[in-house]
Amino acid sequence: MATVMKTTRDVKGVGLSIPRPDGPEKVTGKVQYVADIQPRGLLHAKLLRSPHAHARITRIDTSRARALAGVRAVLTAADMPYLKKKAPTRAHAVLAIDRVVFAGQPVAAVAADEVAIAEEALDLIDVEYEVLPAAVDPLEAMKPGAPPVAESGTEADTSEAQAHGSVAGVAAVAKPAKAVNISQQTKLARGDVAKGFAECDVVLEKTYRVPMVHQGYLEPHAVLAQWDTTGQLTLWASTQGSFNTRSEVADVLEIPENRIKVIPVECGGGFGGKIRALCEPVTAELARVTRRPVRYVMTRREELIAGMPAPQVIIRLKTGVKRDGTLMALDGEIVIESGAFSGAVLAVGAVFLASLYKWPAFEVRGFEVLTHKPSIAAYRAPVAPHTIFAIDSHMDQIADALGQDPVAFRLRHIQRDGDPMANNQPWASNAGYEVLERVAQHPSWKQREAWKKSAPTGKLRGTGLSLGGWLGGLQPTGATVRLNPDGSLSVLTGQVDIAGTNIALAQIAASAYGIDIERVKITTGDTDVAPMTGLSAGSKTVYTVGAAVLQAAEDARRQTLEIAAKELEAAVHDLEIEDGKVVVRGVPGKGVTLASIGKKGNLYMSKVQPVLGVANPAFSQQAPAFAAQLARVELDADTGEVTLHEFVVVQDVGKAINPLACEGQMQGGAVQSLGIALTEGLMYDDKGRLMNPSLLDYRKLTAADLPSIECIIVEKPSPAGPFGARGVGEPPIVPAPAAIANAIEDAAGVRLTALPMTPEKIALAIAHR
Amino acid sequence: MAKQVLSFTVNGEHVEVLVQPYVTLLDALREDVGLTGPKEGCGTGDCGACSVHLDGKLVASCLVLAMQARGRSVTTIEGLAGDGVLTPLQDAFVRRGVAQCGFCIPGVVMAAAALLAENAKPSEQDIRYAIAGNLCRCTGYTKMVEAIAEVAGTAAGARAVGMKG
Repeated sequence: MATVMKTTRDVKGVGLSIPRPDGPEKVTGKVQYVADIQPRGLLHAKLLRSPHAHARITRIDTSRARALAGVRAVLTAADMPYLKKKAPTRAHAVLAIDRVVFAGQPVAAVAADEVAIAEEALDLIDVEYEVLPAAVDPLEAMKPGAPPVAESGTEADTSEAQAHGSVAGVAAVAKPAKAVNISQQTKLARGDVAKGFAECDVVLEKTYRVPMVHQGYLEPHAVLAQWDTTGQLTLWASTQGSFNTRSEVADVLEIPENRIKVIPVECGGGFGGKIRALCEPVTAELARVTRRPVRYVMTRREELIAGMPAPQVIIRLKTGVKRDGTLMALDGEIVIESGAFSGAVLAVGAVFLASLYKWPAFEVRGFEVLTHKPSIAAYRAPVAPHTIFAIDSHMDQIADALGQDPVAFRLRHIQRDGDPMANNQPWASNAGYEVLERVAQHPSWKQREAWKKSAPTGKLRGTGLSLGGWLGGLQPTGATVRLNPDGSLSVLTGQVDIAGTNIALAQIAASAYGIDIERVKITTGDTDVAPMTGLSAGSKTVYTVGAAVLQAAEDARRQTLEIAAKELEAAVHDLEIEDGKVVVRGVPGKGVTLASIGKKGNLYMSKVQPVLGVANPAFSQQAPAFAAQLARVELDADTGEVTLHEFVVVQDVGKAINPLACEGQMQGGAVQSLGIALTEGLMYDDKGRLMNPSLLDYRKLTAADLPSIECIIVEKPSPAGPFGARGVGEPPIVPAPAAIANAIEDAAGVRLTALPMTPEKIALAIAHR
Repeated sequence: MAKQVLSFTVNGEHVEVLVQPYVTLLDALREDVGLTGPKEGCGTGDCGACSVHLDGKLVASCLVLAMQARGRSVTTIEGLAGDGVLTPLQDAFVRRGVAQCGFCIPGVVMAAAALLAENAKPSEQDIRYAIAGNLCRCTGYTKMVEAIAEVAGTAAGARAVGMKG
């Protein structure tokens, strides 16, 4: 009787909820982060930071600090002649030269035998400052005559300043050329906006504000640096991209990249905040001058004061629609506060604002503004939560004003595959429509009237939803897949596993090659040995590195089958890999084990090539991914306190390579999104000093604040992703602010447009309704 | 300042180290005893990553001076499980894929173990309040709560979660 052959892909691999292999190490406390590595002779670094947001340094005297026992080095900018007065990026501003441009900017650095000695040495460094006026509010900072940030910060790009006049909440800039703090501008437009507004029936104009928030990774920035006697630098780094860290450090220190080895140590969370170099160059310099290993671990206070948070974003949005719901025109202005150095992703906001729904006429103007605050960086889907907060709050209000169902209104106008985005690129295949349809089928959405009516005395209940997403990231990458002499596989990549991607990549290798996951080991290599690989960021690791692993595993499979074909005297297309053997279809008992093929690749006098699958793809096609979130809230009418009773995430992941890991991303992203919505915000005084530099005052959500997060996975395969996968990490951080604002309006009839939506703001809004 | 002798029990074994009187229990464990399972996420008692058991009670070791542990018994994440064996709690965390970056996990496991030692049948709210002092940025807490609830459902008291004195 003919046996039914297992198909190649019928292995323990893609699609299974396989727990991460590093779980046991993590739950027993054995995983080592940078701060856990203790080489002999270790020195500890500390940085003296400016207490002023904007000041001239008139004198620095380090002599008393240098004299302290146990201090091995004290550095100022004068000790680092390669530093540039006009630092092109934040990473280059290693130590301040003459002027500080944000409170918390490093001014001097110390390496000492103990942390306590290094801290004492900081107190012995005498710095005299001449305090200068600071640009603190971005809308004020845009105006002519504002204190300039860029003089010794970054070079502000004002070349396009002429064309654009008014900005959110600000009168027209009379002489744009003098608006020195506008460092980037963008404009997207289509159709006749004036005509659209002239012919519409309902105009809605609101300004939405989202403050700076911190990425909140639990492990603060940390790096360990050591030089060898030949001038090779090794960095043990907590980074989202070891090759990027290497490039930035090489650029700052002006040394060749191949003299730096970055070892990506387990990263205790990044979320965009550990992409750019921050403390690596100064630590490397301290290690160079002391000829000792030097470790620098930022304190939480330093993280909050002088990390690289997400920008403050202010969006003024005006829309016009016909009474029947026809969209007519959209006019928007986005101001992104970038802090002391340029680098915000201005385009995302501008594109998202006018691309999700079918506006026949729109104009969106974007401005990046410098202020005397720490410069910003990415935070999981940078600027997307801010933009969706504006547009999706707006869509809900328009539907409400027209008396239309908010989901049906969105579904009527949402752009679909192939429709033009605001930048005139066609929308790539995505499931925005399907995800929104799916969330509207949830019982909690259908029963929202009953929920509202069930509110006990003194409480208000409401339901809200929102749709948001991410366009998907791209970056060239590489991977190798090796067959070992025992028939197991070794996969090597250079990507940092910050999100559980290694298990997904191993599953991809298993399914592509035709072997069970237990026989696959995946390693993240350092920058000396790994294939060049980009950032673990932008929801692109599984999408791009996964594609590389897929191709490399297919390459290894092809090589394996070709070797087996010779041995078995069979055609490659008749062969199958099954249970660790290459077998001939329809010929039971005829086969050769993977182990024997692997052994011959490493045998003295063998003429069989070792199996080494290699892939180094670049990519051109993005895969947008959408999430819809549904919130059921209860408000205390007197105190404004919000209790979340239910929170649902519906997300298109293309193909769930590992559903368990997908859920982890959806739940974690949702809670970050809820933090932006409800509690988080860096608060600065009028002199640009942070007022809440602790986790007591910078309030992150705890387990006690939250319900269980319900996950519903939608799978609309992406055309180019491995097994149809899309990026999973970014979409879930996007929708919650709008979903919560919509739920609050449903409950209380008040519309909040400034985040975080604290009890104080909610209570005041209710009191004034 | 002169160092002082800290003599105490760590994970069931007698330990003697010399520490500065201003050093925290967290730093003494990490730098002098060599146990880096407890993490410093904030140093101000707000995040819970440094959680250990001191005489069986959950403490933030960054808020305890090392010398306050003199003559007392400390259990860290390293001492929770026997050699190479996961406690049911740790096993549930692994199977349910709780850990992402993993930095908060030692503290969360210690907080959950302390809860289950006191209350073998906690409600979901009990669990959420018990780990409310442990900040996690990756997971959204859902799988964590599920893992603890799963173990609570089968736990036959404190021994099941590996509590030590």
